[in-house]
Amino acid sequence: MTVLTAPRRTIGYTSWILVGGSLLAAAAFAWPFFVGAVPADAQVAVPIVAFALIPALIVALALTLDREMYTAKTVALLGVLSAVGAAVRIAGAGVGGVEAVFVLLILAGRVYGARFGFLLGLLTIAVSSLLWGGFGPWTPFQMFACGWVGAGAGLLPHGHGTGAGRWRARGEIILLAAYGVLASYLFGLMMNLWFWPFAVGSGTGISYTAGADPGQNLASFGLYSLVTSTLTWDTVRAITTVVGIILVGPAVLAALRRARLGRRR
Amino acid sequence: MFRLRLAPLRAAVVLAVGFVLLRVVYRVVFGGASGAGTVLLDLPRVRLDGPFSHITLFGPITLVGLGNAALSAVPVAGVIVFFGLLNAVINVQSLFARGAGRGPVRAISRSLVIAWATFPALLESVRRVRVARALRGERSIASLLVPIFEQTIERALALAASMETRGFAATRVVTGLCEAPVVLTDAALNFGAVPDQTGWHLDDLNVTLLPGTLTVIVGATGSGKTSLLHSMSGLFQHFYDGTQHGRIDIAGADRASTPPRDTAGFVGLVAQNVRLGFAAETVHDEIGFALAVRGVAPSVVHVRVLEIAARLQIEHLISRPIEQLSAGEASLVAIAAALVNRPILMLVDEPLADLDTSARERVCTVLGQLAHEAGVCVVIAEHNTREFGPIADAWLHIRDHHLGAATFDVISSADPRTGLTGIDRTATGPTATGPTATVETVHPAPPQTQPLVRIRQLSVRHQADLAVNDVSFEVQTGELIALRGSNGAGKSSLLRAIALPSVADAVWVNGRDVRSLKRRSRRQAVALVPENFDDLLFSITVADECRRADRGLVGADTARTLARLLGFDEMTGAAHLLHRHPRDLSAGERLCLVMAIQLAPRPALLLLDEPTRGLDRVARTLVSAALLQAAGATSAVLFATHDDDFACGLATRTLRMQAGRLAASIEVRS
Repeated sequence: MTVLTAPRRTIGYTSWILVGGSLLAAAAFAWPFFVGAVPADAQVAVPIVAFALIPALIVALALTLDREMYTAKTVALLGVLSAVGAAVRIAGAGVGGVEAVFVLLILAGRVYGARFGFLLGLLTIAVSSLLWGGFGPWTPFQMFACGWVGAGAGLLPHGHGTGAGRWRARGEIILLAAYGVLASYLFGLMMNLWFWPFAVGSGTGISYTAGADPGQNLASFGLYSLVTSTLTWDTVRAITTVVGIILVGPAVLAALRRARLGRRR
Repeated sequence: MFRLRLAPLRAAVVLAVGFVLLRVVYRVVFGGASGAGTVLLDLPRVRLDGPFSHITLFGPITLVGLGNAALSAVPVAGVIVFFGLLNAVINVQSLFARGAGRGPVRAISRSLVIAWATFPALLESVRRVRVARALRGERSIASLLVPIFEQTIERALALAASMETRGFAATRVVTGLCEAPVVLTDAALNFGAVPDQTGWHLDDLNVTLLPGTLTVIVGATGSGKTSLLHSMSGLFQHFYDGTQHGRIDIAGADRASTPPRDTAGFVGLVAQNVRLGFAAETVHDEIGFALAVRGVAPSVVHVRVLEIAARLQIEHLISRPIEQLSAGEASLVAIAAALVNRPILMLVDEPLADLDTSARERVCTVLGQLAHEAGVCVVIAEHNTREFGPIADAWLHIRDHHLGAATFDVISSADPRTGLTGIDRTATGPTATGPTATVETVHPAPPQTQPLVRIRQLSVRHQADLAVNDVSFEVQTGELIALRGSNGAGKSSLLRAIALPSVADAVWVNGRDVRSLKRRSRRQAVALVPENFDDLLFSITVADECRRADRGLVGADTARTLARLLGFDEMTGAAHLLHRHPRDLSAGERLCLVMAIQLAPRPALLLLDEPTRGLDRVARTLVSAALLQAAGATSAVLFATHDDDFACGLATRTLRMQAGRLAASIEVRS
């Protein structure tokens, strides 16, 4: 019950593996910015390494987390919530960025912790891709990005304020909704980042230029991202997430917390 | 591993068609449906301003444009159908059941199994909750999503518990000693590690149970029958976060250190709601599940399944899909599944709750034979004690956090049904002040020229079967009618069809055809409290739930109604419940809450489906008093039940249903 009880004080070696793995993965996402740093001969290999690194990291982190998840209730909740998440994702698949699945990831990550949230993100994408047939080179990147959304929610501060129950509950919802907005835009940025050189091609004003100074590439990427998703899909996703968290957040949080406490006597 | 099942394929085709249609709509709205060929519809182009200026809405729609839109969706649709086909052919669950369980990613692969198994249940949940929401007259997103969410979580926990006790992913083989199935030495149970509002605990447990005996654990709801049972199955310690003190030995194994999966070879468990724990899709695979997860050869599993089925006389069910079982059959299948490992100890949690009289007798006989002929140690947690009178060897009574031996005479004097007949219409105790006034208004039931409710030739068809066959009857103002009949007689279908009629001219209330009424006026004519009444609840406090029910209704005060149903004169009596989570209330209190919600629009006819299902004596008393209260608040009440004594104690008239038809009505009261 490591994950489902109070957060642990000590930081075990698995935490270091998780943090290290996440940093490596972040580097792989940001591969366009590292191309200039390697020798010219090796530059062709950079995207290939990035594409291989992400799935390998997923396997490594899954192996690390698996042992900690090995209790019947954690496994059952992980399974059922990823099914719900996948269903929500498939139901919303026809409408682009309206991925209400963030609502579930954030709420579950908040209640069950960063590790659970991370795995839930991975599994939700895995299950929905398996069912819906959306498997492709982008799937591992999506899995990681969604994993981070869930994990981030688990790392948010738990207020030990003195306010009354009702205000405290509202504060939590506001916190989660604000995080939802942030996560929606960051998710869009991350997903744009690794795909950007492929999406625009070369020769336009916002193209990725190998060897140019990072500042210029960053500006190009910023403009590309703004036009591609930040103003449209990411905004829609942010609004969906906020509305979802406000509408069903309190009830879903209560349901998740009750499941943790055990409802039988 | 392989089998053919058309349902997933059908679902996938529906999904694929839906996807293509959605894509076409999407293209039309976002201006992508133009192209060569004839213009079908020339919508004006709407260019968005500001940051969205690269988006143009609408535009001319051509046949080629629509075709292209549909074609562009075909690859994805094809993939959907392909995966539906894979689903139809490959039994992923059994694949995982064979392959997973060990190895470095067993937790994640098991989660995938559960995710997979949850999908059909999700669809079923959506269907159920949509009915519940129509009954409550709700349209909000929360009223749909929250009950579905609660249900899937509940199912996940039940499924995980059932897989655990049947040895899924067991790591070591523990051998059981037949001589001492259960030995509790100075044991105590509580939920100390987890903050628990109720502060439940059970102390000084010293119990030794021998092979070939049948023991019944009795006690009120919430006294801890199930927890005591699961302290023997190991779920209490290893699944429900309970804390055990002292020593509990199950067939020689130390329960505190041995998880349920390692004792699956000699401990069988039949859980409370057997359907939630079914992990396979056919009766055959369900019975053989515990062997299959141990890697036993399929031919051996088959022989063993046939042997067990023959012993319980359920050979005819072997090839049946699991969802087509009646309640009684499902119980027998769950017993068979628990017996497949030839257990030394058999634990059974409330086996009779959902069953009608004949199914109850059957289950009792089977459990009795198990103990006295096969020499198994059988332990049953149950509040329907009467049926076990002839076969029980010992009774354990939980009272005031302690366990005591009792005799059947002592138990039966506290039996719910013997107690209940004394309560009936001149109720005493918590209802003494309430119903007396009501009785006066209900009792006379003067004959009227215009009946309050008229049901005319109502039929309900479930696929090929006629669940309700040409039923006609009338209800007068002031009546309190019991609808009786065995499981599957069509009672639930009839009530549902009265509350939400699908044909015109079948249900008339106060001279109005219910079918033609709008949402709100329909609820003023007839309201139903369904069997799965939890599906109507979706707020996080009882007070919110009441406020929600009052919305838009002049003069409605659901909180007050709830207090009255619970037997309090003043609002303050129920005040302690208002801030609690609705699902934390006891079953009886929850039922009263749903009754109060359904009474908010002041329906002329209140319907209740099996209101006493799974309730103990105290809760039944509460519900019967609440029913009388409700009868005072509306014009007539009709409740379905298979509980004979409950019906006799309350009803002014009894309707009997058999195979979808209404038998001649019987007057029970002068």
